Amino acid sequence: MKLSGSTLLVALLALAPAPARAQEPRPSAVAGRVLVRADTSEPTPASRASVAIVGTSIAATTGADGRFLLAPAPVGARTLRVRLPGYRMADRPIQLRDGDTVRVEVVLERSVQLLSPLRTDAQRTDAELFTSRPSISTTVIDAMALSGVPSIGERDVVRTVQLLPGVTARNDFNTGLTVRGGEADQNLVLLDGFPLYNPFHLGGLFSTFMDATVGSIELLTGAFPARYGGRMSSVLDVRSAEEVRPGVHTTADLSALGATARFAGAIDGGRGTWSIAGRRTYADAVQSIFTDDVFPYRFHDLQGHASYLIGTGTRVSVTAYQGRDVLDANLAEFEADSVLSKSNRGRWAFDWGNQMLGVVIAKDVGGRTTIEQRVSTSGFSTRLDLGSGASMQRSEVRDVRASGVLRVRGDVHDRSIGYELAAQRIRYSSGSPQTETTTFDLTQRPVTGALWIDDLWQLSPRWLVEGGLRAEALSGRQWAALSPRLSLKYFVSPQVALTAGAGRVTQTMHSLAGDGALRYFDVWLASDSFVPVATAWHWVAGAERRVGDVGSVRVEGFLKRYDRVLEADPSEDPQRRGDEFLSAKGSAFGVDMLARWQLKSGATGWITYSYGVSRRERDGRTWAPGSDRRHDLNVVATRPFSKYRVGARFNLATGTPYTPIVGGVTRRVYDPALDRWGTGDPEILIESLGGVHNSERFPVTHRLDLDVSRELVVRGATVAPYVSVVNAYNAKNVFVYLYKYSTDQPTRRAISQFPILPSAGVRVAF
Amino acid sequence: MLLALAGATLAATAACEIEKVEIPRPERLVALHGVLSASAPSQVVLLERTRNGSVDVRAPSFELESPLGSDSGIAENGAIVTMTTPSGATLVAREDNTIVLGAAGGGVYRFDLPGTALERSGTYRLSVLTRAGEKLAAATTVPGGAAALVAEPRTFDRATDELIVEWPTTPGARSYFVRVETPYGPRAFFTNETRVRLSGDLRNADLDALPHVFIPGFPQTVTVSAVDSNYYDWFRTHNDALSGAGLINRVSGGLGVFGSLVRLRLLDLNVVAPQAEPVAGSFRVIGTPEEVSSTPYLALELYMESAASRRDQSDALSGRATRRKSIFDTGCSFCGVLGSMQDGRVELNFLTGWSARDTMETFTGELRGDTLVGSYRFAGGVARFVKQR
Repeated sequence: MKLSGSTLLVALLALAPAPARAQEPRPSAVAGRVLVRADTSEPTPASRASVAIVGTSIAATTGADGRFLLAPAPVGARTLRVRLPGYRMADRPIQLRDGDTVRVEVVLERSVQLLSPLRTDAQRTDAELFTSRPSISTTVIDAMALSGVPSIGERDVVRTVQLLPGVTARNDFNTGLTVRGGEADQNLVLLDGFPLYNPFHLGGLFSTFMDATVGSIELLTGAFPARYGGRMSSVLDVRSAEEVRPGVHTTADLSALGATARFAGAIDGGRGTWSIAGRRTYADAVQSIFTDDVFPYRFHDLQGHASYLIGTGTRVSVTAYQGRDVLDANLAEFEADSVLSKSNRGRWAFDWGNQMLGVVIAKDVGGRTTIEQRVSTSGFSTRLDLGSGASMQRSEVRDVRASGVLRVRGDVHDRSIGYELAAQRIRYSSGSPQTETTTFDLTQRPVTGALWIDDLWQLSPRWLVEGGLRAEALSGRQWAALSPRLSLKYFVSPQVALTAGAGRVTQTMHSLAGDGALRYFDVWLASDSFVPVATAWHWVAGAERRVGDVGSVRVEGFLKRYDRVLEADPSEDPQRRGDEFLSAKGSAFGVDMLARWQLKSGATGWITYSYGVSRRERDGRTWAPGSDRRHDLNVVATRPFSKYRVGARFNLATGTPYTPIVGGVTRRVYDPALDRWGTGDPEILIESLGGVHNSERFPVTHRLDLDVSRELVVRGATVAPYVSVVNAYNAKNVFVYLYKYSTDQPTRRAISQFPILPSAGVRVAF
Repeated sequence: MLLALAGATLAATAACEIEKVEIPRPERLVALHGVLSASAPSQVVLLERTRNGSVDVRAPSFELESPLGSDSGIAENGAIVTMTTPSGATLVAREDNTIVLGAAGGGVYRFDLPGTALERSGTYRLSVLTRAGEKLAAATTVPGGAAALVAEPRTFDRATDELIVEWPTTPGARSYFVRVETPYGPRAFFTNETRVRLSGDLRNADLDALPHVFIPGFPQTVTVSAVDSNYYDWFRTHNDALSGAGLINRVSGGLGVFGSLVRLRLLDLNVVAPQAEPVAGSFRVIGTPEEVSSTPYLALELYMESAASRRDQSDALSGRATRRKSIFDTGCSFCGVLGSMQDGRVELNFLTGWSARDTMETFTGELRGDTLVGSYRFAGGVARFVKQR
């Protein structure tokens, strides 16, 4: 029989294997048991432990028998995180395949520190970062590591950040962060991913972050991924702690600085968590009890955070913050009278503060896709009023923004695409309401937009590549730019990796705070038709070695080139636009080293060493910026001893540049009423004459800080008194030099940084 | 605001001194201070050396004849100072101490050029050659506008009055300089507007203690001047105490200012206030003929300048005194008074003139009904003043 072509085709098709139907993924699951080991040798089931898959909203709480089930669970390499108050958090890597159920048994070890706030599901450990991302120039510090770091008055996040690699502090009075040769206004500070413009109190001595509210901090000091923009030097993301225990749990802290209280709890079987915290200084209240003299300064912070899982895959989180510093004095009431009455003195009022409200909605779709939408408003304002309207200055920045991310996780690629839209209102004004005169009144309303894409690509078991592109635009200047970002990680072995990264960064908000030794807060102005956009390139290369679960060592070299960096013009004319900033080219290069450890005994700490060289150039002249510090060594260590926890921090650093004063000129004033020259009215004012800019360097500084705390259980409450000593051996570190040329022998006086400063406090948790 | 905070921080930390060393004396630069004024009878330029620690700075009473010598400035003598006018003429200044042998006025170089002769919108070029061969140069363009040569007298009640001062837009003016003279030091500021409101409760933001600008009993002058960019930029800027940078200097070869000013408004205010309090009012000296003839002050006009703000504080007083003057006495006939009162006890400082810096005599006494009874610290003796109805 002769076969026709069509018959043959049908026959061939009948012989062909049936095409595989597109397989639907079968759900995976994670099941297991959590045990705890306290002081007894046999572990016992852990009830109400929190179990979650990191990077997702999939979580559960163990039952009385310590058992749990997470289903459905997303496929791929994941990290299972287990937490229980009083025990050290545990992470377990798991590999999930279609339809499989992975069984895990986790034993939690007792934690010495009962009072550390716990971390959110969205936070990542260093270990996870090492394996899952190139994590160029990224450092994560959790609450455990934060606790025990000696501090003044109370623990402070930003002061701890100053101890991290690549970060230097100008001096003891300045909490501005100088990151790898950058300026202090080049750091993006976030609270749960929402921007804060001036997170400092007391003129920069303390940050606005209350220790009890901090779950962890993540610091990126270079070549950051495409999702970050707007600042050129670093990103500091402070994450709120989330309580996992039901009920209302209270932490109260009384320190030399102020009083803090935090209330928090988990609700609805762990689906939700809430916290509210407040802090206020009390020196003014205490002084008023004992004297009629006035202590004119106070500040407060209020912070709230809540998170709730709706259904199985949608989480809503809200974070709010409000804080204010007030320096308010009626000088007539300020202090007791003198021979000459003080009743004719006036009043000055100075206040400044932040407010922020942010909402995040994150939805998991199908286990591999996450959609996140953020909306926030953030603002900072300051007002100085001298003489009840005789002279007034105001600065305000208000930021409303929306951003979103679509993230698709695959076996090899983890792709994200996102957007960010921010509308800002900035006002900076000075004048005299009493005389009805205005010196200047500047209002800006810039709108910035960004689109970005990011692809984390597991090229091979040894190669991780993260590439991204950020497109940005700014109204008011008709400016747009593309900023590529690239990071690479090569695993020489599972414990050793080489990294490299590069990226372009831009900045459209700039501070008028200047390059001086003191930095109180930033007065922000946006790029517009008068103020250009600042841009820079980062290049980073390094190596990291993990030492099991104990710690790690990382060395990174960096190079930064500023195509344009802006600094405030000290001679700017307030009646003229366009001269607020001076533009310069710049560069910075150096090496950072970080060695950190976290032992099972509870001992934690790190050693950092930074070497850096910074330069600026303008009009053929080159100089070192005031933050240029060659060598900076920090050793931080905390260790439990029986019921005590001892912390120490040692710093050794070479000096930063300063300008020598080479003389003085008397400020002579012409009196137009009498048409004559006068002086000494009311007193002789002598202007300092500066020598070559930043041509000298301060001497080497060194300092040892100590902290001792102890935990006691009193009637079910945990009480932890602590004592700190800053500058324990009273090192004489120079803050500034003051010159005097008005005597017949010129002199130079060295003014010190912090002298020995003991402080004490107590924290109570119940 | 950041400057104010910086100053406060430095003041607070200054107590933490850890070292004081002597340092070498740096080179001294030539500093020039010159302002061409359309209302001045002549034009003056001051030349001095910057301070390098070779001279002690004193703070004696200001001497008009020797503005540099008053505070131990280092006058630059013997320089050749010339000025080229817009029309091309060259004027040569004479140093004041060369006009009368042995006179004060070192470093004060005077051009015989009245302000009325200054050409508006004209550029004047200054040239200096010091004895050491240093050359300085500067130029200024005089703003337009008619100069106020005669003061407008006014009585200003601090409690009820409000002073609105207006002036015309002036061609060539970079800014307008408003200045109010007060016993504690002037309140001065620049504005680009052509109107300013001065209220009785205005505070002096130029002084740390923020006292009132207007003090009852005192004559106070208000001026508004059109200034050029040199004047504006020099006097609005300061050098940061730590970096020594910030001043705008347009004198080549040296440091300082050569600017110009046209005084547009000149007001002489007689500041008064209600005198409802027992201690406020007009007082005349009474007593025996010997007491009356020996008392240095014949009459007082007192006001309650500020009431006490706390219970352990005194009220602040202000006013003026009529002084007994003898032949050849060149001191004030009417002098300022600043004082205080608490629980009936009164202390009065009689000023040398109208500046709170210079006290000539102090009176301590009590208010007994409508009579002030007390004694002088320097003149001695008992004095009684009775309040006039």
